Formats: sequence, structure tokens, C-alpha cells
Amino acid sequence: MKFLCLECNTAMKFKESKAPEGGSLTAIFECAECFGEIAIYMNPWETQLLKSLDVQLGGRSEEAQPMQMVRSYLSHNKASDPPTDDTAQPTATPSSVEPGKCPFTSVVAEAFEAPKPEPTELLWSEEALERLSRIPSFVQPMAKSGIEEFAREKGLAEITGEVMDAARGNFGM
Amino acid sequence: MKNYTDLPADGGSDIAGQVTKQISRLQRRMGSIRHTIAVMSGKGGVGKSSITVSLAAVLALRGCAVGVVDADINGPSIAKMMGVRGAQIDYGTDGVKPVQNPLGVKIISMDLFLEGDETPVLWDAYTQKDAFTWRGAMEMTALREFLSDTEWGTLDYLLIDLPPGADRLPNLVDLLPNLGGTVVVTIPSSVSQLVVKKSLTMAKHLLNTPVIGIVENMAAYVCAECGKTKALFPTGHTEEMARQFDVPLLGKIPFHPQVSICADEGTVFVEEFGDTPAGRAFTEIGESIQTFFEME
Repeated sequence: MKFLCLECNTAMKFKESKAPEGGSLTAIFECAECFGEIAIYMNPWETQLLKSLDVQLGGRSEEAQPMQMVRSYLSHNKASDPPTDDTAQPTATPSSVEPGKCPFTSVVAEAFEAPKPEPTELLWSEEALERLSRIPSFVQPMAKSGIEEFAREKGLAEITGEVMDAARGNFGM
Repeated sequence: MKNYTDLPADGGSDIAGQVTKQISRLQRRMGSIRHTIAVMSGKGGVGKSSITVSLAAVLALRGCAVGVVDADINGPSIAKMMGVRGAQIDYGTDGVKPVQNPLGVKIISMDLFLEGDETPVLWDAYTQKDAFTWRGAMEMTALREFLSDTEWGTLDYLLIDLPPGADRLPNLVDLLPNLGGTVVVTIPSSVSQLVVKKSLTMAKHLLNTPVIGIVENMAAYVCAECGKTKALFPTGHTEEMARQFDVPLLGKIPFHPQVSICADEGTVFVEEFGDTPAGRAFTEIGESIQTFFEME
């Protein structure tokens, strides 16, 4: 994708990204002439597609590690972490990058790893907890977070069997 | 107003440049591999993985350096069939070290990355809803990493065991435009051949990929009591299909229960049962594959 400042008829340059909120990545572009800015918001699926291609917005300053995408994003990955490289360059931040170079390198990766805001605690009824326990253990964390996300979207404070049924329907299961 | 091509770059990300680097890395890795072979069918359950495993063993027993890529990202079975399940992946400076079976065949499979028997392939994501929009791209990137980030060293043959689906070969050819050839697996049933023909059309006429030949699996069975060879399936016209597509019929592999037992145990069928009709068929097909590349 390329962005054009219509006012100046000039290509806009990448300026910075913001951590995904609700799975949505924000990238800001700036016009080199008028310094006008625009923000693009990628929905969670576009954000995930970007991750799946193992490319970084703003460019990549370091070589990708072997099997980087598999190791980074495969759930329940048993593979050991690669040896850390003490000589590796520190993560670039917009303020630390030389003028004229894209300040976005590594920022997206950082942004992907940025902690999500602490969600509000939800109550689980006994029935709901019992039903959750019947789900295979490796799927439980994903199922739990999916159901809680569904409940928060609906403004519910407690997960009951009915909520689980509704969430299941919402997931198309 | 400037249009897309008037703008010199994408604002600093150089996504195209990053992708080009990925492909260059893949090409460098493939540079030390003499022949790449896709074992495919289009149809599920015809024995692609069994045949991949046995052909890899035949070639290794004939002195070739062989590697196997389990390209079935979601249903990996090669590691179990080759007796290396549970082996630890080691990371080197230039990639991961493939696991090796007792014959020295180098193996990479998603199974080696998964925690346990019941662990499916799930990708971290904000939501798994509508994951169809990105899961295919994840799988393609995983396959590219298997090919380019494994320290294969010098190989004579790299066998790539494709999952079912006529779309799998074009995806692979996107990564490996110089794919050495395909081995197309079928069973003698009209249903199987209806699907396999689509894959043959894809391979031969749409992608212009060399088709080494067709392998008919479960071609017959040998009666344990009378020793006679009898048909397993009443239908299927594999010879006719081979003629229609003008590709060789590399061989017919009779059913042998030990193929399945060896796969379950992770032992090498062609080593233990090489002197059976199925063992001999595998060996002859392996020889035909070598001949195909020697004649190139």
C-alpha cells in the first residue's frame, strides 16, 4: 500500500505504529512536505494477515530468525527458544532512529507483543466452569478467552451455561 | 494527481523487498539440493505419506542423501511414520537442524513443534473467528520456513509430502518454481481417479511441472492362504489415466498390512520387508525415479 497527500501530491512516509487495541493495529503516515498525518487502522484479520506474511511495517532492520513465524505464533509450541544474541541491536524506537531512516523497524513486532489492557474480571457459574472443564485442556485457554470476550462485548458480568451456548452459536460451532 | 506507479516506494516498509529476501533465502537453501519431488494426489487417504516414507527409504538405502518435508501442516504424520516423533528441534546459526531417522533421512514436520499427541495446529491471534482469512497465509509461510530455514546440507533428493487438494501443488510451485517433478498417487477406484485427474491437469497442463509418473497404491492383495494376487477394488483404470495424460505408470503397490504396522511403529518397511511384492514394488519405483532424473 502507498499513501498520497492529496494537498501536496506527495508520497507519505511511515511515521509510527501503535500497539494493536482489540487486535487492530494502527499505523501513522506523514507527508514530508506539509507534515500532515493520517492514520490507518487494520482490523484484526488484516493485522493477523500482516503477521502471517512475516513482514514488518516500517522495514526489517535485523535478519529474521530461523522459523521465526512458526516459533512466534504457533500456539503450544514445544520448540526451544533460539540462543539469544547479546550483540543484537536494540529495538529501534521512533526517537532513536537516525533522520531519513524509517522509524518503524521492529516497532510493529514490539506492538504485537505489547500487553493488552487488563480486562475486567468475569464471574463463572459452577455449571459454566464444569462445562469448560470438559473441553480438551489445550483448547481451554482459547475457549475461555473467546467466551469472555463474547460476554464483555455483550456487557455481561457472569458466564453461565446460556452465555456459553450463545457464544458457541456466535463462533459458528 | 499521482497514481500508484508514480510513487517510488511504500513509505518505508519495503514489503516487496522483505518478501524478495525471503525468496532469496529459499533459493540459496535449495541450491544445495539436486532434485525436489512433490508427492501428491489431490485425493486424501490414498497413501501419499506411506509412499513418501518408503520412497525416501529406498533412495537412502541406494546411497542417496535424502530429506523429507511434511507439507501437511495441519495433519502431520511423517515424523511418526519415520520414527522420530518427540525428537527435539535444535537451532543452529543458519537454521534448524532437521531430525534424522536411522537411515540418515533428514526430516522436518510441524509435528516436531507441537506439544503433545492431541495438540492441533493453532495460531496465536486476537480472535480465531473467521480465521480462514489468514490461516492459509500462515500455512504457506510455515511451509516456506520449513524449506528455507532447515539446514538440509547437500541432498540428492528432497521429497515433499503434500496434503490432499489440487490447490496444494500451485502453492508449492509458487515457492519452488523449479520443482524437479511430481509423483502422483492414486488407488484403483474411479472416485480417487476423478480427483487425481484434476491434480494431473494442474501439474502437467497448467503449471507445466514435470510429472515423474503415477503410483497406484493398494493395487491388490496377496492372499495369505493361497498366495494368489487378488484385486482390492473392482473399478479404476490407472493405465488408461496414465495414457490419457501421457505420463508413466511407475508401479502398482499391493496392499501389505505391514506397511501400516511399520508406519505405526516408525520402522522402515522396505528394509524389513523388502522381499515382499510391496517391498519390491517400492524399490522399482525408487529406481524409476532415479532413472527419470538421470535421463534429464
